[in-house]
Amino acid sequence: MTDEIIRMETLTKIYDTGEIQVEALKGIDLTIHKGEFIAIMGASGSGKSTLMNIIGCLDRPTEGHYYLENIDVKEKSDNELSAVRNKQIGFIFQSFNLISRTSALKNVELPMVYGRIGAEERKERALELLKNVGLEDRAQHMPNELSGGQKQRVAIARALANKPHIILADEPTGNLDSQSSVEIMEIFCRLNREGNTVIIVTHERDIAEFTNRIITFRDGHIIKDEVTKEAGAC
Amino acid sequence: MLVFENILLALTAIKSNKMRSFLTMLGIIIGISSVIAITSIGDSAKGVVGKEFEAYGMNNMYMYLNWEMTQDGIEYSDLIMPEDIEALQTRFPEDIKYIVPYVSAESETKVGRLEGKLSMYGVGTNYAKFKKNITILHGRMINKSDVEGNKDRIVIEKKAALNLFNKENAVGETLGVVINNEMKDLIVVGVFVVPPSLFDTMFMSEAYSTYVPYPILQTGDKSNWAVELYTNEEKDQELLGNEFKSYLSRIKDKDPNFYVIEAAESQMATINNILGTLSIAIGAIAAISLVVGGIGIMNIMLVSVTERTREIGIRKSLGARTKDILMQFLIESVIISAIGGVIGTILGITIASVGMSFAKIDVIVDPKVIILAVGFSAVVGMFFGLYPARKAAKLDPIEALRYE
Ligand SMILES: Nc1ncnc2c1ncn2[C@@H]1O[C@H](COP(=O)(O)OP(=O)(O)OP(=O)(O)O)[C@@H](O)[C@H]1O
Ligand SMILES: [Mg+2]
Repeated sequence: MTDEIIRMETLTKIYDTGEIQVEALKGIDLTIHKGEFIAIMGASGSGKSTLMNIIGCLDRPTEGHYYLENIDVKEKSDNELSAVRNKQIGFIFQSFNLISRTSALKNVELPMVYGRIGAEERKERALELLKNVGLEDRAQHMPNELSGGQKQRVAIARALANKPHIILADEPTGNLDSQSSVEIMEIFCRLNREGNTVIIVTHERDIAEFTNRIITFRDGHIIKDEVTKEAGAC
Repeated sequence: MLVFENILLALTAIKSNKMRSFLTMLGIIIGISSVIAITSIGDSAKGVVGKEFEAYGMNNMYMYLNWEMTQDGIEYSDLIMPEDIEALQTRFPEDIKYIVPYVSAESETKVGRLEGKLSMYGVGTNYAKFKKNITILHGRMINKSDVEGNKDRIVIEKKAALNLFNKENAVGETLGVVINNEMKDLIVVGVFVVPPSLFDTMFMSEAYSTYVPYPILQTGDKSNWAVELYTNEEKDQELLGNEFKSYLSRIKDKDPNFYVIEAAESQMATINNILGTLSIAIGAIAAISLVVGGIGIMNIMLVSVTERTREIGIRKSLGARTKDILMQFLIESVIISAIGGVIGTILGITIASVGMSFAKIDVIVDPKVIILAVGFSAVVGMFFGLYPARKAAKLDPIEALRYE
């Protein structure tokens, strides 16, 4: 297919902790197309986060190839990977990872700071992003003044700052109650309907139900890869 | 480079950790304030010494018998006699502008019920032409006829006029004094003022300063152990002094070391030299405290990098480049130490001013020193901040994010 956005070929990841070597990913072959909404499931320690970090260019594979928009990330320098993280990918974490003692607004502005966008445009856009996640009235609040669900919405607004086409979320609802989880998933649905590729890691079946393709991991292998719906149907 | 953003970030970080930032700056503050205080005090002292000597004239010198050489006993003929003075003047018509025996005396005096002590300084004709800081308020200075006629005249300072005669213009009044065990009535012919000098304020001499014709202070035989000179100021004072000295020893048939020259210029050079060496020595100690301050900054920046490992991971995950993180931490340490430098400068100037105000001296602060001090502290911050900043910049994003 022409619209493939992510392709992995016999990709392995070995963590070398000195004494023991952990093989977290054992030869992954995976193709993801533009506009897909994917859930990655599997037992704890099966390698889901490892895969997400590699997709998100936070980490590099040990062996094999990872093509992002048809370019092998092996070819990219650290600075180029920074640019990829800044522009092409929006990463959302289970623990929100907002910078403390920094307002919601400033947190959302951060990717634009590193994207060298001028202060005025930055602020304007950050306010707009916060509005889109329903937090326009919380712009000046510090992270410790926000609820978990609000923090995660700030994190999503931040991930979208530079209009990336790939959104990665590693257990985004892991720390949230079911009500907030649904709100967050609805935001992901909306982003997916707008044409973005969204990949989330989750342990919960009903969260995975929002997506159109569920990939299951066990022990560093993909053991199941099922398309449940048509892409963009959420 | 995101300089502006990083400066804001650094200021926020410093503000959110006020006490720690202050303690970190302390080393720099102490270092810079001591450098500034010491150089300012040194410069001010030099300025004062310069002024003090200028008051006497930089071409002022004394020639006198070397006491060390005269320990085995001195002979009457070794003393400087009027004919020696004349010989010197004749031999160096251009280079000696003024030469008189150096004589002074102190005496109590009484005017009605008012008492005081006079310090009488023997001068020749034209003395005021050379010692330029004398201002005559009333009457005149000691003149040629006073000197040549050996007249009982005196010129007194304003303070003496006010305290002894209850008026400023005391010209025409008489002062009874004792000179060489002989009672004399001196007629006041002038009243003067000189700007207050450091030596006066330091030694708080309670005697009034006055000028009299030098012959009236001399003993009967007119012999002298010292002479005061004003010389040709265009020439090197030390060389001139040596010429005078060797000429005098030649006509007296003595070893040249039998007489000593004390030239204002070389004395000032000596004092400035001592002050300079002192400044350098203390400055070096201050520089060491700057290095210690720098190490303090490095230490705290390392702590800060560790504490903020997760933040660094987040920033990297959002697209911060190695260079961006490096700049963030480098700018923070530079700002910490530059602020320390500014506080240190203010403190140093304050210390210098307070210290100098006791000695009633105006502080001289060289703007170059301030720029140098603040610049140097920024360099210290940069140097000692580089290692922690590089450590931060090189963190692996995944490991940093995983850090708890
Ligand atoms: N930095 C690391 N150093 C060493 N081993 C690691 C490291 N990160 C992960 N691992 C190991 O790699 C394996 C896969 O870890 P990973 O975090 O990808 O699991 P996961 O599927 O995300 O688990 P969970 O659902 O609990 O988040 C685990 O065995 C883990 O112990
Ligand atoms: Mg995980």
